[in-house]
Amino acid sequence: MRTRKATRALTNRTCKQMADLIYAYLNNSLNPDVKKDFEQHLQICPDCVSFLNTYRKTVEVTRAVRAREIPADVRKNILAFLRKPKRRVGT
Amino acid sequence: MDLAMAMADVDRRNQMSTNPMTEPASSVETRRVAPSHGLESPLIAPAVSKRKRRSGRGETGLIERLKAGDERALEAIFNLYSRKLYNVALRILGESADAEEIVQDVFWTAFLKAKTFRGASQISTWLYRLTVNAALGRLRRNRKGKEVDYEEYLPKFQPDGHHLVRPVIDWSDTLDEKYADHETQRLLANAIDQLKPLDRSVVVLSDVEGLSDKEIAAALDLTVSAVKTRLHRARLFLRGKLAAHFGHSPA
Repeated sequence: MRTRKATRALTNRTCKQMADLIYAYLNNSLNPDVKKDFEQHLQICPDCVSFLNTYRKTVEVTRAVRAREIPADVRKNILAFLRKPKRRVGT
Repeated sequence: MDLAMAMADVDRRNQMSTNPMTEPASSVETRRVAPSHGLESPLIAPAVSKRKRRSGRGETGLIERLKAGDERALEAIFNLYSRKLYNVALRILGESADAEEIVQDVFWTAFLKAKTFRGASQISTWLYRLTVNAALGRLRRNRKGKEVDYEEYLPKFQPDGHHLVRPVIDWSDTLDEKYADHETQRLLANAIDQLKPLDRSVVVLSDVEGLSDKEIAAALDLTVSAVKTRLHRARLFLRGKLAAHFGHSPA
């Protein structure tokens, strides 16, 4: 692993700045120069590679959290309710 | 605010947006700004790319029928969106009975207020907005302000900008392996529940429902920059919770 001094000398971005840029990096909305800085930093900083990988994986698993079907009885209840709107309007 | 400043830096450098990043999110999030077209470019990172969503074609006809009081149009819209809205309400509220009521109320409101719907926004945005507002309103009424402090789970840095705890451990493969475990899924679900309600709404609409930042901004009446800031911070918190779960520092 490279020393801190070497890391700083070889990159235009600190690890803290890298953490702040991750969102835009993953959205592909970084300007090319900043993106180049970002990827150069990744080349020499295993800490930021780990940080990026775990951030990205967190987003992935968050997406898998909830894909629940609406329960059949709930669906039936709501549809039954919505099928009687005229009666409701008068109440 | 460091993050907002960093994002402002991104925007200035990109020179693509009219501005939104140039002010801290806390001061701008309640007002709307012009869309930042440059930030809506297609995503290339597969792991976080937004899922393809409905085009909105055909919705206009449904809305016109709904405005005319056609109950079958309401049912068609229900069939298109009930599952999504139920999941959004469920995740924000955490209670299935409450989620059922919210969804019922939202579709009832949609029927009653269809005439006020402006074609400028997609019906999905309108329905998401109704759902989130109803869910957040219910939370405000039912829950005492149980604020969670994110700080403990956010990454920390040395004054020189390096991670405070090194080496940063890459536990992403562990998460892949362990995600099938009920315990890990429950931990993540609990962590999402601990997010501030508005942050939770942003996470649910983005990372669970797959809406774009712009769509979320429209649904929640936030600026796009506020959505980005909230989403990034919430993701960092969730990441920190998972890191702690696997015995590591949020770094």
